[in-house]
Amino acid sequence: MLDKVMIALKSIGKNKNRNFLTMLGIIIGITSVICILAIGDGFTSVETKGLQDHNTKNRVTLAFTPSSDDDTTSGFTRNDLSVLEGIKGVDHVKLTSSNPEASVTVQHQTKKASANLNKIPKKLKLSEGFGSTLDADDTSNIFISKDLADKIFKDKALNKRLVINDNVFVVSGVYKIGDFNYRPDIYVSKTTFKQLFASQISQDEAKIYVQSSASKKVVGKSALNEMKKFGEDDKLGKYEVSHPDQITKSFTKTLNNITYFVAFVAGISLLIAGIGVMNVMYITVSERRKEIGIRRAFGATSGDIRNQFLIESIILCVIGGLIGIALGYGLVSIINHFLPFKAVVTAYAIIMSLSVSTAVGLIFGFIPSNKAAKSSLVGLLKEE
Amino acid sequence: MLKVNDIGKKYGKFVALENIDLEVADGEFLAIMGPSGSGKSTLINILGLLDQNYTGEYLLKEKSYKDANDNYLSKIRGDQLGFVFQNFKLLTTYSVYENIEIPLIYSKQKQTNKRELVESVIKQVGLEGKEKNLPSELSGGQQQRVAIARAIVNRPNLIIADEPTGALDSKTSKEIMNIFTDLNESGTTIIMVTHDSEVADYAMRTVFIRDGRLYNNEKSVKR
Ligand SMILES: Nc1ncnc2c1ncn2[C@@H]1O[C@H](COP(=O)(O)OP(=O)(O)OP(=O)(O)O)[C@@H](O)[C@H]1O
Ligand SMILES: [Mg+2]
Repeated sequence: MLDKVMIALKSIGKNKNRNFLTMLGIIIGITSVICILAIGDGFTSVETKGLQDHNTKNRVTLAFTPSSDDDTTSGFTRNDLSVLEGIKGVDHVKLTSSNPEASVTVQHQTKKASANLNKIPKKLKLSEGFGSTLDADDTSNIFISKDLADKIFKDKALNKRLVINDNVFVVSGVYKIGDFNYRPDIYVSKTTFKQLFASQISQDEAKIYVQSSASKKVVGKSALNEMKKFGEDDKLGKYEVSHPDQITKSFTKTLNNITYFVAFVAGISLLIAGIGVMNVMYITVSERRKEIGIRRAFGATSGDIRNQFLIESIILCVIGGLIGIALGYGLVSIINHFLPFKAVVTAYAIIMSLSVSTAVGLIFGFIPSNKAAKSSLVGLLKEE
Repeated sequence: MLKVNDIGKKYGKFVALENIDLEVADGEFLAIMGPSGSGKSTLINILGLLDQNYTGEYLLKEKSYKDANDNYLSKIRGDQLGFVFQNFKLLTTYSVYENIEIPLIYSKQKQTNKRELVESVIKQVGLEGKEKNLPSELSGGQQQRVAIARAIVNRPNLIIADEPTGALDSKTSKEIMNIFTDLNESGTTIIMVTHDSEVADYAMRTVFIRDGRLYNNEKSVKR
């Protein structure tokens, strides 16, 4: 078997350019297959993990959307909370925010700007200043982004004072925001955030936990009706039941469309690749009639000849497949910068790709190989 | 070795062979002569089991292969026959060694034996040191030696040679015929087509074909 593979590799190597062009279709096709499967697999694993993370089984979420984009404060109030908790079948209700950042105005001397603010994460890489976080009860220091620093301060921002909503802080660190990252403009300590800014964040989500005896659907409906009647910010926006998987649903839909498109591209390019393989195998067979004749005269059966060309066609496709897998792998790691989840190339995807390449080689190499096997021997031996 | 009874062959209406009777004994060295287009290659292709499309009876080692299937014919060709052609018919991108190895790929030899077998026939035809060369790097005579080595690597009973010296000068032809004579003396039966009566003189017996008919079919031992 190994010697047969060597023979195939040798004759493929003899026509590198021609064979590479033939492989292109396979390469594109397999690259697409790898990407589709990687995105699909990555997404499924996120989705299933997500379900395990926050149990949405006994929870209905009511969302408030303000009618004005500038409105960042309206949402569910304390009174709303007690109304919701009074509904039959409700266990308890949590008010949260879909966007946990506070919108603030900042000022240094005469320069003013608006900015987003949040509490400090556990670790942050600073480009200027020391340390990687702020003490939980540090009420004087803040970190700001390089962009904001450039906007407000003429020169160095470090150790300068910055006024945020009438409170004075000292900039003790500056961080850069990478191209593919999102960060707010300002970080403050946990305590500062709680004391000064938490109240500014609109609580536009009510997570209603339903008693196990009650129906989510019914509770959701009555909660919506209650809010339409009694909601304090009813005039400022719209209430709706947000299905926990609504976001994922719309995302899945886009993803599906992309997947169909890529699958279509993969299918077409594999089909064209197959036709190319068939063509190149026809050419090879007619170029090598002498070789076929010689092998037949010295003991090769027509089956041996057919297998020789089939192996060649399969190897041609598998090489294309391997290049496609490598390219797909590279492409997936690039795509991962833009995806909200991590696409993964699984062993299954690699096996799948290799099977597809083998199948293309087998299917489209079969007719030419059979032609080689079935030629009349005397005719073949007249070839020079 | 073989026996031919009333063999005929037509290409459409054209009669290429007619009424051929021929017997070749084990260990014989037969030359077939005749003008161009007389049917020499046509006959020898039938004898070499390369062409099954004929009328009449052909027995190789007392067996008829008229109805044998393709796989079986391939096996017989590989195991019992060895071919030498006028224009060598070497694979131009394969080395001397690889060319000679071809019949072994399709026989059931062990890998270790294969190397030995190839080395021994390379020695036999006097091509030591040329194993890695391509055919294009050899002279015509050397190329024909490669072809002979390939024909005998499986130790066949019968060598079928279609104008083995047709592309060689008379000096080189003599060298090739000496190899043939050695092979014949060590027991291999040889059937050879040639135009050259000097070459035919190396054979034990010569038959003539003209217009598809065989003449002078009597024994005439010359050596
Ligand atoms: N495939 C074919 N179709 C039709 N006619 C053929 C075919 N092959 C051979 N012939 C004819 O059969 C006759 C014998 O051909 P063959 O090749 O046996 O000649 P030959 O004796 O070997 O000649 P040369 O010495 O030139 O090789 C020729 O007249 C040739 O034209
Ligand atoms: Mg001829």
